[in-house]
Amino acid sequence: MSVLEVRDLTIRFGGLTAIDNVSLAVNEWEIVGLMGPNGAGKTTAFNCITGFYKPNAGQVFYRGEDVTRVPPHRKAAMGMGRTFQNVGMVKSETVLENLLTAQHTKAGYGALKALTGATAIRQREKELTAHADAILELLGLTAVRDRRLGSLPYGTLKLLELGCALASDPDLLLLDEPSSGMGPEESHELGERLLALRQALGVTMLLIEHHVPLVAAVCDYVYVLNFGKLLAEGDPDHVRNHPEVVAAYLGGEAPEELEQTEAPDEQAAAADELAEVAEVAEVAEPADSGPATGVRKRGLRRPRKEAS
Amino acid sequence: MAAQTEVMTGFDHMPDRARVSLGGWALRGVCLLPVLALVFALPYHSDEWTNDAIYAAIFAMVGLSMNVLVGYTGQISLGQQAFLGIGALTAANVVNTGTTAADPFTFAIGIVAGALVAAGGAAFLGVIALRVRGLYLALVTLVFGSVTADAVFTISSLNGQDAGLPAYRPTALQGNFAFYVFALAMVAVCIYVDVWIRRSKVGRGLIALRDNELVASAFGINVLGYKLLGFVVSGAMAGLAGGVYAFWSQEFSDKNFTSGAGFSLALIFVVMVVVGGLGSRAGVIAAAAFFALLDPLLTGFAHHTGWLNWYTDHKQYIQNVIGAVLLLQTVIFNPGGLGQVLRPFTQWFSGKRFSMHDEGDAAGAALGGGSSVRA
Repeated sequence: MSVLEVRDLTIRFGGLTAIDNVSLAVNEWEIVGLMGPNGAGKTTAFNCITGFYKPNAGQVFYRGEDVTRVPPHRKAAMGMGRTFQNVGMVKSETVLENLLTAQHTKAGYGALKALTGATAIRQREKELTAHADAILELLGLTAVRDRRLGSLPYGTLKLLELGCALASDPDLLLLDEPSSGMGPEESHELGERLLALRQALGVTMLLIEHHVPLVAAVCDYVYVLNFGKLLAEGDPDHVRNHPEVVAAYLGGEAPEELEQTEAPDEQAAAADELAEVAEVAEVAEPADSGPATGVRKRGLRRPRKEAS
Repeated sequence: MAAQTEVMTGFDHMPDRARVSLGGWALRGVCLLPVLALVFALPYHSDEWTNDAIYAAIFAMVGLSMNVLVGYTGQISLGQQAFLGIGALTAANVVNTGTTAADPFTFAIGIVAGALVAAGGAAFLGVIALRVRGLYLALVTLVFGSVTADAVFTISSLNGQDAGLPAYRPTALQGNFAFYVFALAMVAVCIYVDVWIRRSKVGRGLIALRDNELVASAFGINVLGYKLLGFVVSGAMAGLAGGVYAFWSQEFSDKNFTSGAGFSLALIFVVMVVVGGLGSRAGVIAAAAFFALLDPLLTGFAHHTGWLNWYTDHKQYIQNVIGAVLLLQTVIFNPGGLGQVLRPFTQWFSGKRFSMHDEGDAAGAALGGGSSVRA
């Protein structure tokens, strides 16, 4: 059973069909990429999956359960964490308070009971704060713990947003352009971080991403959208060389052009990375439950740091 | 006593307290003395002052209720006086058993019932208000306030007709100072609730939905439910204030809430929460007390300078102008309000180092973030 399965999803805004009959699946422990040119409908698809939009047709299944009409806050409580393209956090609060807010569904006490200030609430708040501190430690953000978001650089905010999504112990993480605003070095680090997070937390991910080396480095499977339709799917190498995909991105140019436009060094580096990674045969299974259907194509990988 | 300490410290962010020596705490205690003198000694000294101080306590409660709704939840309300009135009407009707001194038990029920019925009214308004925002929300709450006043407060079997419905206090609270202490205790209840809103997931949820409803729901916060909760808690606090109000004036009269009187109350409530600083407990309480005491202070001043007659004729305009000027200076020069000015002091009292530099400006961001407040 897939963690997430989308069947024949269609949504129209007026006369425009933003998503047209799209089906996709994310299996246990996979990192799946969702690519496509601007306006292809990637974020719209995310919004349908997470419940912000109500699709006109089609279904969304989460672990076999039809959740098409479930509102976003309940999906979050079910274990679907998401991030936003333009950093979705509470701007007027501090870093720590954002991480506490993100743990809303894990608080485990009633809203009215909270107002009584019972001892149990105090205790629970201490635990939530400890968890938030642990996440800051994990992401190396302890230094900005009590800073307000307005004073932080964009890259830090993106990282913190990932932390917020992780704070609620999600089972499925939907990341909307996690590397936007990052340079090659930073996005390389991000890729390692995502792999390490999967290793540590066993979290399944679906990410919208433009940065080809990052997709190549972390994704097990890639879907490409164009004008709301599914254009191609497959492992990153396959998709990257798919003529229609190249045409969609570059407007009908040959695949060789892609290599040149997309910073050849990075591509070469990414290819090396893949080769390196493929050598790591040993696969660590998640502690509690192994992947139900197995991860497509390239299998589970260790984070690069550990795999020397 | 404990309540007043809370007023001054206002733990806004559950600070990690710096290690403060015993001497440091002693110094803070000494600095608190003038405040305590202002709050307790002055009203104890003069009965007239006690009367005004109770009014200030009522305003402080309404200020806190506005703080929950406007400051945290980011929803504007121009109908808060309706909840005050509902609380007062309910409390007065509960104790109205014909005797001249209320039975303490009935009195307690009246106060609690006032808060509960007002919370119910707020839930009703909230259900409507969930569907609108900004300017339309302002209009809906405005209409709610005037309709409640005209349709409910004028029901002659409830409001005691022209004479007003008497609301006698129990014997123990007959004296003004005793009643003042009771009013302070009710303020303390509101502060306690406010503290725990701010320290628990409730406040974080409200503030998250104020800043960005999409982000809030991605964080798992039930946006509609929490908005409604914001209305209900705010309504309950205002209703509690209403109960105290009824026993302070010892009657319920619909004339205090209908047409012009009600609308000017509504305006003062909005102005005082903005001037006090949205989301700032200490600032809002201080601003509420200021607006409650404005009339007695100006009357005293005019009396001494010989302008009493002129002031009495023009008091409404003068107060409105003062409110408008303070509102403008807050919005233009000091968006964090009084709370921003007080923050170094409140933080010092809570055991942090005294520092004029706040990390970012919380209240300013709060004002910018609460889109419905700006609209």
